[in-house]
Amino acid sequence: MSRVSVRRVARVLEQRLLTLVAALTAVVLLVLFYYPVATVFADAVLVDGRLTVEPIATILTSEFYLVDIIWFTAKQAFYSTLASLALGLPAAWLFSRFEFRGRETLRSLTILPFVMPSIMVAIGFVATFGRNGTLNRALSAVGLPPVELLFTLEAIIVAHAFYNAPLVARVVTAAWESVDARTVETARSLGANPRRAFRDVVLPQLLPSIGVGATLTFIFTFASFPIVLALGGFQLATIEVFVYSRVRDLAYAEAASLAVIETVISITLTAVYLRYEASQRSAGGAANPLPRRSVVPSDWTPKSTLRTVGIAGYALVVGLVFVVPIASMILASVTGGDGGFTLANYAFLVERQATGASFQVKPLPAILNSLAFAAGTLVVAVPMGVVMAVLTTRRYRGRGLIDVLSMAPFAVSGIVVGLGLLRGLVFGVDVLGTRIRVTGALAIVAAHAVGAYPFVTRNVAPLFARLDGRLVESARSLGATRTRALVDIELPLVWTGVVAGAAFAVAISIGEFDSTIILAEGAGSYTMPIAVERFLGRRLGPATAMGCLLLLVTSASFLVVDRFGGRWGEL
Amino acid sequence: MRLELDAVSKRYGSATALDSVSLSVDDGEFFTLVGPSGCGKTTTLRCIAGFESPTEGTVRFDGESMAGVAPESRGVGVVFQNYALFPHLSVGENVAYGLRFTDPPGGGTRDERVAELLDLVDLAGFEDRDPDSLSGGQQQRVALARALAPGPDLLLLDEPMSALDARLRDRLRRQVKRIQSELGVTTVYVTHDQSEALAVSDRVAVLNRGRVEQVGRPRELYHRPRTRFVAEFLGENNVLDGVVESRPETGGIRVGVGDAVFTLAEGRRVLGQGGSASGDRAETDGRDGGRPARPETGDSLTFCVRPEQLRVGAETNRVRGTVVDTEFQGATTRVRLDWGGTELVVAVEDGGEESAAGFEDGTTLDIGFAPASAHIVD
Repeated sequence: MSRVSVRRVARVLEQRLLTLVAALTAVVLLVLFYYPVATVFADAVLVDGRLTVEPIATILTSEFYLVDIIWFTAKQAFYSTLASLALGLPAAWLFSRFEFRGRETLRSLTILPFVMPSIMVAIGFVATFGRNGTLNRALSAVGLPPVELLFTLEAIIVAHAFYNAPLVARVVTAAWESVDARTVETARSLGANPRRAFRDVVLPQLLPSIGVGATLTFIFTFASFPIVLALGGFQLATIEVFVYSRVRDLAYAEAASLAVIETVISITLTAVYLRYEASQRSAGGAANPLPRRSVVPSDWTPKSTLRTVGIAGYALVVGLVFVVPIASMILASVTGGDGGFTLANYAFLVERQATGASFQVKPLPAILNSLAFAAGTLVVAVPMGVVMAVLTTRRYRGRGLIDVLSMAPFAVSGIVVGLGLLRGLVFGVDVLGTRIRVTGALAIVAAHAVGAYPFVTRNVAPLFARLDGRLVESARSLGATRTRALVDIELPLVWTGVVAGAAFAVAISIGEFDSTIILAEGAGSYTMPIAVERFLGRRLGPATAMGCLLLLVTSASFLVVDRFGGRWGEL
Repeated sequence: MRLELDAVSKRYGSATALDSVSLSVDDGEFFTLVGPSGCGKTTTLRCIAGFESPTEGTVRFDGESMAGVAPESRGVGVVFQNYALFPHLSVGENVAYGLRFTDPPGGGTRDERVAELLDLVDLAGFEDRDPDSLSGGQQQRVALARALAPGPDLLLLDEPMSALDARLRDRLRRQVKRIQSELGVTTVYVTHDQSEALAVSDRVAVLNRGRVEQVGRPRELYHRPRTRFVAEFLGENNVLDGVVESRPETGGIRVGVGDAVFTLAEGRRVLGQGGSASGDRAETDGRDGGRPARPETGDSLTFCVRPEQLRVGAETNRVRGTVVDTEFQGATTRVRLDWGGTELVVAVEDGGEESAAGFEDGTTLDIGFAPASAHIVD
């Protein structure tokens, strides 16, 4: 081949690269997400190769499933949503209407729950509210009887609020800051008192964001797994937990049927949410935001004193819910049975690593597996997420379908994806007479990538959307191919979003629990969160030590997010 | 380079953005597309640049069809209204961007070419500046330098001045025109501003609703608009609808409008009387054939008279109107008259500080126009 034709082939390749990567992304999604999920659906409606509604019908007619599982799942999600609103809305008020030191920092810290492994949060709550937890130690120190909060609905709800109240706060703060002060001033000049102006002008502008926060919280908590597993046990089981227990009992058809019911509910909720969100999208910060005042009032009237006391009380609750669990976990990891300082729990991890039997969970492989899976997730999820961001910010026919298909992994729980990957690809499929099998490790990376890439997309897409299309057109008229324009112009301009998305992907992979625990059963490739859960079942000390290691690794990735300005403001 | 558009149509679903547009632009010509927003001028430009592909019809560069040719392979320089400078690159890097894909024309180094272009737009020494640190006018000149750096055969300017203030716009417009004629690069300029179009162009195409209304030299379009739309869009005009009363032996046409009868000179523009160097090309859409060259008695007819052709106290075609509004504009005063429900605009030359006293609202004014100064349109 002559040089000229090599160059021509290279140029054609370059022109088509974007299409190629998009096609590749579609294939990856099809094989790693849609096929596995379809497998689960097939498991639910096929018995011995025969189409039947029997497994699903059994569940939908069983009082146990309907009341104890499905109704309980919805109930705890509803209470969790209320708790998240109660805890999150005052924060939105404080963030948007008050000026105080560390406001910006606190606001950016509301991103933290997203990168916190849920199993670690569960450990923190066990260390706080458990029989020998911080709370009971504090109570006994002042001579009060201990309380039993673990394995109650309340514990689950508070833990869910830990995750979702910051989300509510973020969404509502953004909306509150985009309220134009002029609209309030106009209402006042027309005769409305401050209370009336708030009700008539501000509240209507906040309601959509409150709706978005509440719906998302409900969707997330409806499909919550590790929190409920760790804090509720099998006595208080959500659908997710019960699917998991069925999988452990190898009752796959039943697990699949439950998973299908859950997925249908989740997807319906998500579809409703997406429609709602699309119609309510607001236009960023206002030119004249409402003024902020100091938290400490300049003069102490009864009203301002009451407000300050209220804010102080709220700060206390926030400290109890957000700081104490993490602090308790760290404290518990260095506290011995006698209450004194000890490194025994870390020594246990070292010793287990050195002398543990092969069937026992060792710390080092868990750390290495977690890092390896995170690296794999990064390699798969970042290009997928970026291409999806490019596709979802362009206008073309069938774009709505692409949007929905690409965001579906958001709505399908990790348990379902894990189950599908296990039943489909890990156990093997026959393709033209050849049995194709995927190792557990590969399946875990696949599940993590599917769970992580929407976060990349959501970090990058707003930046792409803000890019002026004329930039690419200018580059192209100057001689750059489409791919070249992406590399030269677009990527440098959305780079912060790509890095932030990558950090999210790593953090999500490291913290991922739902599908990993299902796949790890079959593959023996456990990760740090799985190790925490295994230890948690037997002794709290090593579990908290392992949790601290997890915190360390996760914090490192969070620092990267913060360093490059994570953009989760959209959600 | 010679640019041709041959019956180019562009449809988005059921909406038609361009309806069989045919144009040809000569080598080195400064050609302007003008029209109200949504008329299709930007779509035309984007079809030429290759950002859109026509639904039907062909774009040709020097006779060669551009169908399927990617924007990067067309050798076209584009300047957008919002400049679209690459914010992460310096001014110099912006200008040099196109030189990544081609050698600098003229055989020098890239740096030399960048310096040459920045000098051309009076921004010598700005290489290391950040685009954000420049004013709007400076940014626009960087965008122009960037588009010209690879030595394009065709320069496309998409409303390049509309984000700038009026004074700056005038100056930049002259600068663009000077650079264009120095380089001799074929240029297509898109604007919604009719005065801008008349000021700089060799020829102008007036677009309306995706169709070409008329193509011609600025003076030709101004004085001999073919359609009512062109007559009203370019400059101010009094457009009157009437019926042919008679065609006297002495020549001319007598047209009744309301109670009045006006005498017009025999059609100022009749078929075959194009009169311009580009007259043969001006017949772009073939609609001329349907227009009666010699209006007969009883035909309805539309004609226009420019405000500056209406004279206070003129002897011929005299009517009496009531002043409803006056606007002092410096050299002239625009006087709006109500003439039996029809509004007429008269441009009166300013005669000093006290001269407007006669045009107080409510006073009556006799005006008229010479038969030859009226112009019949479709």
